[in-house]
Amino acid sequence: MAGLLEIETISKRFRGLQALDNVSFTVDEGGVFGVIGANGAGKTTLFNIISGAMKPDSGTVRFAGQVVTGHKPSSLCEAGIGRTFQIARPFPDLTVLETIRVAALCRLRNMRAATARATDIAGRFGLAQKLDRAGRHLNVLERKRLELARAYATGPRLLLLDEVAAGLRPVEVDDLVELIRSIAGENITVLMIEHVLAAVFALAWRVVVLDQGHLIAEGPPLDVAKDAKVIEAYLGAGYAAA
Amino acid sequence: MKTPAADDRTASVLKIALVAATIVIATVFPLLARQQWVVAGILILFNCYLAQCWNLAAGYAGQFSLGHTIFLATGAYASTVLFRDYGISPWIGMWAGALIAAVLGAALSAVAFWYRVRGVFFAVITLSAVEVFRGICSGWEFLGGTSGIFLISANDPADMNFLSRVPYYEIILGMVVLAGLGTLWLERSRFGQYLMALREDEDAAEASGVPTFRCKVMIIAISAAATALAGTFYAQFLLFIVPETLFTFDHVLNMMLGTIVGGSGTVIGPIVGSALFGLFGDVLRALPFVGSREAASLVRVGYGLVLVVLVLRLPRGIVGLWRWRS
Amino acid sequence: MDQVQTIIQVAASGLLMGCAYALVAVGFTVVFGVMNIINFAHGHIAMAAMFASFALNRYLGLDPYVAALCLFPTFLIVGGVLYRIVIAPAVTASHATQMLVTLGLLIVIENSANLIFGGDLRSVRSSLGEGSLHLGSLVLPWSRLITATGSLLAILGLWAFLKFTRFGTEIRAAASNELGARLVGIPIGRVFIQAFALSTAMAAFAGAMLVPFYLINPFVGYDFMLKAFVISIIGGLGSLPGAVLAGLIIGVVEALGGFYLTASYATAMVFGLLILMLLLRPAGLMGSFRS
Repeated sequence: MAGLLEIETISKRFRGLQALDNVSFTVDEGGVFGVIGANGAGKTTLFNIISGAMKPDSGTVRFAGQVVTGHKPSSLCEAGIGRTFQIARPFPDLTVLETIRVAALCRLRNMRAATARATDIAGRFGLAQKLDRAGRHLNVLERKRLELARAYATGPRLLLLDEVAAGLRPVEVDDLVELIRSIAGENITVLMIEHVLAAVFALAWRVVVLDQGHLIAEGPPLDVAKDAKVIEAYLGAGYAAA
Repeated sequence: MKTPAADDRTASVLKIALVAATIVIATVFPLLARQQWVVAGILILFNCYLAQCWNLAAGYAGQFSLGHTIFLATGAYASTVLFRDYGISPWIGMWAGALIAAVLGAALSAVAFWYRVRGVFFAVITLSAVEVFRGICSGWEFLGGTSGIFLISANDPADMNFLSRVPYYEIILGMVVLAGLGTLWLERSRFGQYLMALREDEDAAEASGVPTFRCKVMIIAISAAATALAGTFYAQFLLFIVPETLFTFDHVLNMMLGTIVGGSGTVIGPIVGSALFGLFGDVLRALPFVGSREAASLVRVGYGLVLVVLVLRLPRGIVGLWRWRS
Repeated sequence: MDQVQTIIQVAASGLLMGCAYALVAVGFTVVFGVMNIINFAHGHIAMAAMFASFALNRYLGLDPYVAALCLFPTFLIVGGVLYRIVIAPAVTASHATQMLVTLGLLIVIENSANLIFGGDLRSVRSSLGEGSLHLGSLVLPWSRLITATGSLLAILGLWAFLKFTRFGTEIRAAASNELGARLVGIPIGRVFIQAFALSTAMAAFAGAMLVPFYLINPFVGYDFMLKAFVISIIGGLGSLPGAVLAGLIIGVVEALGGFYLTASYATAMVFGLLILMLLLRPAGLMGSFRS
């Protein structure tokens, strides 16, 4: 059965480095899917390829049956893929409301409707008090929330999250997890690239593990955690034996 | 006690009343003033209009084109050639010029954006394009070569040719008002929101669903068409098109100064900026010991300094001073 | 036979001009290479130096070539001051800001010159540059020969400075990898101000060297700016040898083009070429492009 997102034999090389080597997996509709791996494993490259920021050397990305490899991010957005940026990029001189509204305009042509929806979404993501604040004046946490709100406002079927939990305190991570859980509850499929394993384990139904461009494991988080190859990739050969 | 909503409404009503009053005064002005003041008014309004056109692409969409002179020339040459060779009235010819300019602007920018030319390099490419055009217009006999094209003054309203200066004034005033309304509409439209987003951060806008390529090309086409209309006005007012005076860098610099100093990305910024610029010049010129050339240069030195200070300290310009975000 | 002689004469003349053009472009390309700024006011600095030379000649009777030598150190200081006041804050700002700041500088310089000197064309003759060298059938005016030689020497001097002195090496390091340069302790602020000051001085020297046979008015700055663009981009932004090569090419192309075609079409062609270059090969002939 075809999944919502199909990654087929994606490879990418940067000069001397094979960033991704024949990576394939399928993300079924509904639920949360995690991509984990040590630094340099190729997560970001994979993310950039799925979100249209980069073209792979070979392989295909299929979304809802359509080939979307190398399509522009805005057309992916229209098709139903939303993404956040790892380092939050708020529009410096647009207010929180205006920022979310731009994303909402993707689905709602009408300005009034989009403004109303943006206001709602802002409230949902805890930014109701900051509607008139300009992007450049937000703190880190607010920026992350705005990133999420903006991606959510594009009305995606698949939401790509790029290390959203990075740099957050445990309490903040918990809040974030709740937020993502409620988003997933609305039948939005979530694909998260994540380094903070606590978040992945709390949310993901399935994960894939990348190591130096290769996919080395796939399955429910708890199973993957016990996989010897994964332990070796993260902690070194010594621990795998244990 | 007034509620905040009532306060807002009062403010809006006051704003509209102020604008309406200004327009009425401006419209009536030439009927009471001396010809030289009317001409001064025409020049100021012309620069206001050009700044407004430039503001559409640069202020709202962040696309700094230094090539708008091309579109000015397109409008001027198109309507004039159509009149000279086919007797078509400039009232119609100007729309042909606008269409050609739109296509030209779209084509040039599409090519540039296709090759991912951004920022300063976009400006450099547009500047180079101006030189290409200057070369072609100066060399092509069909367009009059370096001598250009001259029109004869006549009282022919149907062909946009007036003996009195007043009709020209009213035309350019109308253009400024319409451009202002157009900008206001743009600002509040979905397209306008898209442009502002891509001005702020093109990649983030793209990821938020903004079709940046299409939007950039579109706004430049619109800006080009609007500028071309001014080109026809220019040709009909001066009654000559000479490459040497048409293709000066000054036009673009004026557009830029008026817009940035006045407040880029706002509706009245370009108008305020250009108007003050012109008014300072006229005031200085009226002083007994200041010659015409000196007045112009002095104002420009001043504006240049203001530009530098403004850009480094206050990116929002004069109008931005009271629209400053909290 | 006559045809060939004419071509050689025109080309030789163009080659000599090309040396001066290369000098105009060299400072511009270095500034881009080091701090990634397109200095729109670069050409106007050359123009300002031309007027300075004119004033020195008019009020002190200085020969333009002597003035050029005096103006070089003067404009080193001017460049440093300009950097501190105007450029330094813009270095870390957006492209738009940099562009507007340098355009603002352009406006100030151009209109100040217009204010002080007026828009009339001026010319200054050098007593050293009288007459021509006759090389077979070639006639090479001494003024152009001196200018070309001076330009080449200046460029050579810059190259030697960059290659052999400590300051020069630091500039090259910063141009090649700013972060790396910072990490090894190179004071980037000082490097930037030096590079900009040098660039200003080179532009001034170029303008001053052109005085003996180039008409002076406030609006030549724009022409110099365009030349700097064309040469630097074709030669490769940030590349010194690229600027020299492209400068010579442009000098010859301009001479031959102006001779056989109308100047207008020649201009259109050159800039058409520039546009193609920017689109297809932004690194130019020899540049390493930092976008």
